[in-house]
Amino acid sequence: MFGAEKIQELANVISHLTRQPMFQIGPVVVTSTVVNTWIIMLVLFIAVFFLTRRFQKQPRGVQTFLEIALEFINSLIDDGMGRTGRVYLPLVGSLFIMILVFNLSWFIPGMVPPTTDIMTTAALGVTSIIMIQAAAIQKKGIREYLHHFCTPMPLLLPMNIVEELVKPFSLAIRLFGNMFGEKLITNILFILVPVLVPTPVMLLGVLMGAIQAYIFSMLMITYLAEATHD
Amino acid sequence: MDQGVAFIAVAITIVVPAIASAIAQGWTASTAMQGMARQPEAASNIRSSLLLSLAMIEALTLFALVIALLLWSKL
Repeated sequence: MFGAEKIQELANVISHLTRQPMFQIGPVVVTSTVVNTWIIMLVLFIAVFFLTRRFQKQPRGVQTFLEIALEFINSLIDDGMGRTGRVYLPLVGSLFIMILVFNLSWFIPGMVPPTTDIMTTAALGVTSIIMIQAAAIQKKGIREYLHHFCTPMPLLLPMNIVEELVKPFSLAIRLFGNMFGEKLITNILFILVPVLVPTPVMLLGVLMGAIQAYIFSMLMITYLAEATHD
Repeated sequence: MDQGVAFIAVAITIVVPAIASAIAQGWTASTAMQGMARQPEAASNIRSSLLLSLAMIEALTLFALVIALLLWSKL
């Protein structure tokens, strides 16, 4: 049915998606994922810097769009933690926008989205869990924080510790698995039938990228609410 | 070791959790939709917890996907 070279290409499909070493600074190898992340960060930084100059009382043009995005994240936080949770808006909001742009960067030709690399998602997961623990310590004080590991009884201490340790793992694997699976399936379809067939799957990718960003920030808010409640 | 058997093992690693999570997700979604149809005013609340629980169910399949990828790279 398919020629031998197509079978060969299918066997190598994963090598298009994994990170390649680009160059080396001392002992640190800089991979293609890191370079892609830098490019996206630069674009995002410049865009946000220029879009947030000259705000007016009467929103116009791009400012309305920014206000819609802010209102959306604010409503997420209000649902999860109540109005007092808005102190965590910078954390949750920047994570949401960053993951959304990472996921949608798929549609820049030649760009492999950084979230298809497990190292990026692992870094995001570990960072957000450390921030959540820090927020819990800041809110409750160190005594209360340590005490919460011994509830409802000290016998459950190992379970509580395992629960905290599993959180970054599951956050990272969820984001990675969804984006990587989506990209892998599109690439396989593209090798088999290059015309028109991958398009609906790619359209699904837009939806999937937005939903994954939403779910990541939603889980972050849930964990924050759980960690900081009295 | 016979390579074909190893490939089938990798396939089973991902297929069985995929079936299980498809059943679970279908059940969750159908129940949530019944809830939304009965009480449209609660639809937004139900929708957010629906997405959250779908993500939680899907995570188990994704763990299986990662294990399958690890096994595949070992072949």
